[in-house]
Amino acid sequence: MTTDAGQKRLAELLGRAAIGDRKAFAELYDATRSQLFAVSLRIVRERSLAEEVLQDSFVSIWNHAGDYAQAKSAPTTWMSAIVRNRSLDVVRRTRETPDVDDALAANLVDESAAPMREAEERAEAHSLHQCLEELEAEQRQSIALAFFHGLSHSELAGHLRRPLGTVKTHIRRGLLKLRECLGRTGAVERF
Amino acid sequence: MRKLSRDLAHALAAEYVVGTLRGRARRRFEAFIAADPAVEAIVREWERGLTPLAARVKPVEPPARVWKAIESRIGATAPASRGAWTSLGFWRSFGLLAGGVASVLLAAFLFISSGPRGEPVFVAVLTAPDSSPRMVVSMHSPNLLRVRTIKPWKDTADKSLELWVLPKEGAPRSLGLLVSGDTMIRIEPTDPRVIGANALAVSLEPAGGSPTKQPTGPVLCSGVIAPVRKA
Repeated sequence: MTTDAGQKRLAELLGRAAIGDRKAFAELYDATRSQLFAVSLRIVRERSLAEEVLQDSFVSIWNHAGDYAQAKSAPTTWMSAIVRNRSLDVVRRTRETPDVDDALAANLVDESAAPMREAEERAEAHSLHQCLEELEAEQRQSIALAFFHGLSHSELAGHLRRPLGTVKTHIRRGLLKLRECLGRTGAVERF
Repeated sequence: MRKLSRDLAHALAAEYVVGTLRGRARRRFEAFIAADPAVEAIVREWERGLTPLAARVKPVEPPARVWKAIESRIGATAPASRGAWTSLGFWRSFGLLAGGVASVLLAAFLFISSGPRGEPVFVAVLTAPDSSPRMVVSMHSPNLLRVRTIKPWKDTADKSLELWVLPKEGAPRSLGLLVSGDTMIRIEPTDPRVIGANALAVSLEPAGGSPTKQPTGPVLCSGVIAPVRKA
């Protein structure tokens, strides 16, 4: 897989941040802040919480930039994982009752989103979308709700009006199928 | 800690990345990730598989105060006077590209050569992420850098330590591999690698050095180049 210039630049910025280059770190923030803020906002649903997540995530990225080289992922993937994990932590701390707009449930992705710059990610996203298409509608919807909005099993059950066990099975089987499909399309090596 | 089967690790990693693995189960799985590189690798695979979805979320601009807060937090670890030589925050607080003492360039030192009474003209204390000083790089003659290890690392027997200079713009440049104990490195002031460089770092690389001519392993220690202070 060829690495796109944009990802390469971000990797270089991470490398420089690892040794204390604040200017590189500022550039890294500028290049990724709006995407990562949006990712967190979808999960935590409150701007003030998303701001807290973004702040904590970038402090963590600054402190752990040296670990990036070992992650073997695209910089955006590595950083998104940090933001998502912290968002989920915040959700666990702050949210108890499900509160999801039904319209959001139907939209797996925001098609009005700016086109991704990275050819590699586009290709990966393409096979990911193909694989998601292969899932049953309820499996796909459950996985998307959990992924984008940070819903727990029981929140999903409430939102989808399905028994908890059914929701858990949908997710588990859906992910199993996804693993099989992603491995087949070569989107993820060694899957 | 018992070992997870590959299928179970995949099932848990998938739910971990999707976010449905919660509470104590999530914490326990995080312990597995930390303990078992194979489990961590599986989590990374799922992140690579699923995160492209996140890239399709419509960007939302965060307010400027977020960056202000980040800046103050990463700068908050900068004690300006006390323990200056041993604090990573101190070095970071300079900013590698800032003016003043930190912008004194390696090439300039190479031209100046040694100071009065043969003292080194600069010392760069390279500190680990936990702020402990691990190596000292000093300039002793017109073209000779000396790298001394203060505290060696464990488990580096089958690896190499590589010294890098950080230029103002662009990627780090290798100054070569370090041997245990002291390493002497000959550098000419006109060497393009040192033009504009003002910081040094050491990374852990496969035996024989980085295969990509860029740091691939973790940065073990780093520090800016600064002149020896007059007492």
